[in-house]
This record gives sequence, C-alpha cells and structure tokens, in this order.
Amino acid sequence: MDIKPFTTEPIRVLAYDGTPIENVDKLGVSKDEWLKMYRWLVFVRGVDDRGYILVRQGRAGFYAQIAGQEASQVGSALPLRKEDWMYPDHRSQGSMLVKGLTPTEWFGHVLGRMADPTQGRLMPHGPGRNDLHIVPPSSTVGNKITEAVGTAMAQRIKKRKEITITYMGDGATSEGDFHVGMNFAAVYTAPVIMFVQNNQYAISMRTDQQTHTKTIAEKAMAYGMDGYLVDGNDILAVYLVTKHCADKARSGNGPSLIESYTYRYGPHSSADDDTRYRPKGELEMWRTQRDPVTRMRKFLELRGLWSEEQEQKLQAEVKAQLAQAMEEAEKSPVPEPLSVLDYAYAERTPHLEWERQELAAELGA
Amino acid sequence: MATATQATKQTQLTMVQALQSALVEEMDRDEDVVILGEDIAVRGGVFLITEGLVDRFGTDRVIDTPLAEAGIIGAAVGMALYGLKPIAEIQFIDFIFPGFDLLVSEAAKIRYRSAGQFGVPMVVRSPYGGGVRGGSYHSQSPESYFVATPGLKCVVPSNPYDAKGLLIASIRDPDPVVFMEPKKIYRAVKSEVPVGPYEVPLGKAALTREGKHVSIITYGAMVHVALEAADTIAKEGVEVEVLDLRTLQPYDTEAILQTTAKTGHVVLLQEAPRIGGYSGEIAAFIAEQAVEYLEGPIVRVAGWDTAFPYALEKAYMPNAQRVIRAIKKTLNF
Repeated sequence: MDIKPFTTEPIRVLAYDGTPIENVDKLGVSKDEWLKMYRWLVFVRGVDDRGYILVRQGRAGFYAQIAGQEASQVGSALPLRKEDWMYPDHRSQGSMLVKGLTPTEWFGHVLGRMADPTQGRLMPHGPGRNDLHIVPPSSTVGNKITEAVGTAMAQRIKKRKEITITYMGDGATSEGDFHVGMNFAAVYTAPVIMFVQNNQYAISMRTDQQTHTKTIAEKAMAYGMDGYLVDGNDILAVYLVTKHCADKARSGNGPSLIESYTYRYGPHSSADDDTRYRPKGELEMWRTQRDPVTRMRKFLELRGLWSEEQEQKLQAEVKAQLAQAMEEAEKSPVPEPLSVLDYAYAERTPHLEWERQELAAELGA
Repeated sequence: MATATQATKQTQLTMVQALQSALVEEMDRDEDVVILGEDIAVRGGVFLITEGLVDRFGTDRVIDTPLAEAGIIGAAVGMALYGLKPIAEIQFIDFIFPGFDLLVSEAAKIRYRSAGQFGVPMVVRSPYGGGVRGGSYHSQSPESYFVATPGLKCVVPSNPYDAKGLLIASIRDPDPVVFMEPKKIYRAVKSEVPVGPYEVPLGKAALTREGKHVSIITYGAMVHVALEAADTIAKEGVEVEVLDLRTLQPYDTEAILQTTAKTGHVVLLQEAPRIGGYSGEIAAFIAEQAVEYLEGPIVRVAGWDTAFPYALEKAYMPNAQRVIRAIKKTLNF
C-alpha cells in the first residue's frame, strides 16, 4: 500500500462497514496481528468504561474518556518498540496501556492510590512510567510537544535507533508550542511523530473554529515535513501510517505529522456538558456507523476470523481481568500524607524539612 | 565548602572566562553535557561565553537553535528527561518568558508529579540585570518568578571564582537550575580561579565582608554595590557585614540567622523591583525566625516598582548612596 502525505481524503484500509478497500493480504500485517489489534480495542474500551464508572460513583474527581478514539490510540502505539518514548496527552490511556501500563495502575491512578506509578500526584488524565518511557502528561495543552522533540534530538545525538511519539488534540495545534515544536523537529531531523487526534472538538470548539486550514495534516508542509491524514477509526490504516512514519524516523529520515481523524463520544471530561455544543444526531451517527471497534470486528467476521462465541469469550475474559485489576487498585493504600513533601527536589531542602516537621506535628505523627 | 581538590593551579579570570572554563571542563568530563541556544556555536554567544566550544565538541553538543525560547527550554527538558545534561542559554533573561511555561509547568514539576520517577537535570543560563544601557528588555532581574516555583533552583554568582564553581555544581545537580549571570560584571572584575573543576555547593552563602554593626544581605551584581557602600560608611566608623547569598532557592538559612544575630540590623539589597521581590522572602524569614535579635527595622533597597528604563537607568538602579541611607535608617532607629 502506497502511503502518501497530504491527501485530501483520509488514508483508509477498511470502509465504515469493515469491507476492505485495500488488498489486506498484502499489507504486511498478519492475521494474528489483526486479531491482536481487535483484542486491544476491546480491552482499552473495557478499561475506559470501567474507569469512567468511578466518576459516576463519586469515587474519582475527573475522567477524560477515550471512547471513539480507541483505534487512533491502539493503532498508533502498536508500532512502537519498548525503547521508544511516548509523550501522551490528557486523553491517551489507550496508547499508554498498549505501551505497557497495567489496568491496575490506571485504576489506581484514577482513584489516587499507591498503585498509581505517580502516587496520586496528578489529576487522573494519565500517569507516567519511566521504565516504559511514558512521560506523565501535562494539562497545559501543547507544552509536551517541544519536550518530545528534545527527547528525539537526544536520541539522534546518541545515535540510537529509537523514536519518540507525542500525542495532541486538534486544539493543541493552535498553541505556539505546536509551531515551535514542528519547526525544531524539522530543523534537527528529529525522529519524532507528531500524532494529532483530531476528535473534532477542543472542549466545545469545532476544528473549523480552531483553524482555517482544511486539514491539520497540511500544516506540516510549512515546516518541510510530511503530514498524513488518516481515518482514525480504521485501526489498520492508523497502524500502517504510524508504522510508516516510525520506520522513516528510525532510519534517520526525520519527523512526520499524522492527523488521525476521529470522534470523541464522551464529553471533554467528566466536568463538561457536551450537549451544549454537539449538533443533534452527530454522536449517534458516529457511534452507529463509524465505530472503530465495530469496524474491525466486522472486518474479522467478513474474513471468517471471528465469531459470536469468540466475542463472548473475549468480553468475559476482559471483564474478569478488569475486575481483578480494580480489586487490586482498591486494595492499594492512599498515599501517606507526609509524602506530600517528597519529590519537589531530589533531596528535601531545609525549608521542606521544616515544613515536613510542621505537617508531622499537625498530623500527630 | 568548595572542593578544589582537583584544582590546584590558579589564574586571574573574568567571569566570562570562568564560566567558559566551567563549560569546557564539564563537557570534557561528561559527554552527556550538551549546550543549546541562539547564536552559541559559530558566533560563540553574544557575550562570547561559548566561544570556540563548537570546534572542540561539535554541533551535536553545541547546538545553535532557531529563535524560540520555548523550543530551547522545551528541548532541554526533553533531553534531560532522556538522560542528557543540557545547558540552555537564553540570550537575555528578559527573553525567557516565551519559555516560561516549560520552566515552571514542566522542568519544575516533573519530578514531583512523577513521584520521583523522572528528573530534569538541566541548567538554564542567562545574563540578567541592568547597568549596560539595555532598557526594558536587556536589563531585568526576574528571579522572583523562579524562586516562587517549587522544583526550580536559582543561582546568582557575584564573582568569577563562584561563577565557575556554582555553574559546575548546577550542571551536576539533579534538579533544574536557573543560573542568572550578572552581565554588568561579566568582564568588570577578575579573581583567582583554579584550573580544573571544583564545586561551590548550592544553598550556601558566602560572608564576603565581616562587620559588627549592620548586615547587608544581597546577591549577584549588587554585592559590589554593597561593598562600595561598606567601604564608604566605614569612614564613619560603621562596620558593615556583607552576606552574598549565591543561591536564592534553596537559600542558606543558617548564614542569614547568624549574621542577623551578630549585627541586629539588616539591609536587604536587590536590583529587582521591591513589591513581591526576593528580599521580601528574606525579610519574612528573619521576622519569623530571628525577630528577637533585631534592633532596628529590616530595610529593603531595591529597583523601583516600574519597568526598567533606558535613558534613566542611573536613577533606577540601587546605588551605594541608597544603601548607606538604608543603613542609617536601621542604625538610627
């Protein structure tokens, strides 16, 4: 399959109903990999559904669902290697799970427990794990972009065959850091992928209110970089385009921008009311006609690789696995109050020592 | 405590030369140390601190960047997370604000918010301060912003010896350091500087001059104004002690308490505007911890609460006369 930058229509392998548009047997993706992709889609959707319940139960203060964007997240994370670096944004838990974050850690993160690798220090829009090279996301939209480029510059300086991927939404492309990061990435031939999940809304702002260009992908042209527009609900297409850009970066041919055109089902976050800005019927159209999980399932069914029994079995497995993960997260302790004074610096300063004594006295410890 | 064990030979250097020797020696010692910034390679930096480094260490380690401070600091954060030890040069600290978010939201907070998993061992070097006819955008002293941000350290040397030792200590520090260089005295003063690496530890002040009547607590270029004031008022029999803080965050609480207890009179001297300025922190600290030693008011001498002027620079900057008036105000209380 010839993957071309700057197409006007999104690159697509499967039609909305799961029918292949491309010759899927010549994509260099095995049947086992198709099945693996589908299992991941079901799994990350399961994790997200389960996580969001915690907000509705009043046990978590915040949640940003990935629902609708599963193919973008799984498809872009699967081509990465263990040593590659990931800079997630505030809606990237699907990608983090593929990179190696466990559901126990994710639920622990949402609950603010010690099972969270970041020990409850971040609002639950994503922890980080150093050993997995997942950097904790930021709430200041776009500011991870220049950091990701710095990491990629370091990978190039050290002559390692590694790449970095940085995730952002359509809204982030309005930030100055997007421009700066794109420019630096191109100037230094940094092995980085700018992965834009264009879910069509930055809270309430539609993409056409955010930018005057027809696509986000075409912005790459101004930096001397290739920009790819891909159907973000087509996991095979997302996987192939990301793989293409990853191979390119790994072989020293520099950065790429990917615009993954998708749709978010949930509100921006649990604190948002999306009924105020979504046109009637739009959400239902995407859910019923363009769902990324259903599309892959239909494709597998068409190829005779998936049955109702297999589906039942997979759903049961995921449910059991997540129930166990949730139990582990719930059993995990809340962070010790005194630890609030840890990790500001590698070592506590004299002031932090005093403050620690003050808090200890307050706690009667 | 300066550990000058490896450093035996001494030579007379300006601060520019001392800073350059710190960079060269640290880059020789550790190949993960890289520097990046605008015009730092072929041009050698606008103050020539990085002159010749690109020939010695190559373009992978001496990196000229596009004109974007957010990119310089952001890239440095990403490099530091990866394991390099980047030194970012911001041409003038007045230009740091486009990169401010990357410093205060990212560099400063990643260790904390990752529960210690990630560290950001980087240095942001930048010339600060007035007295060079630079107007509003080449003269400011914005240290308050950095010291008010937990996670950042902030260092301001006042002489070539300290500049080298503090820069080496900052490069080796596991946390992000904003290293403010008093450009007015880049070439104005020379001091004995050892050949070879040594550290002046962060968080330790230096008692630059001993006295028993009044303490001036200051840092950076203002140390020299304090010394001038001390010399002048010595003729009237007033013995001034000058404490050079050297590191503003974390600061040397012991040294501040000692000098306060010794003289009972404190003048705080800074170039930055008074309101919300760093001296306010030191004043509050003394008031909380050592009020029983005070025999007069703590008096601040600072820049005026305006933007930094061009033509009226002399009227703006704190000088020895103002310091002397402050000394008299607290002594005659």
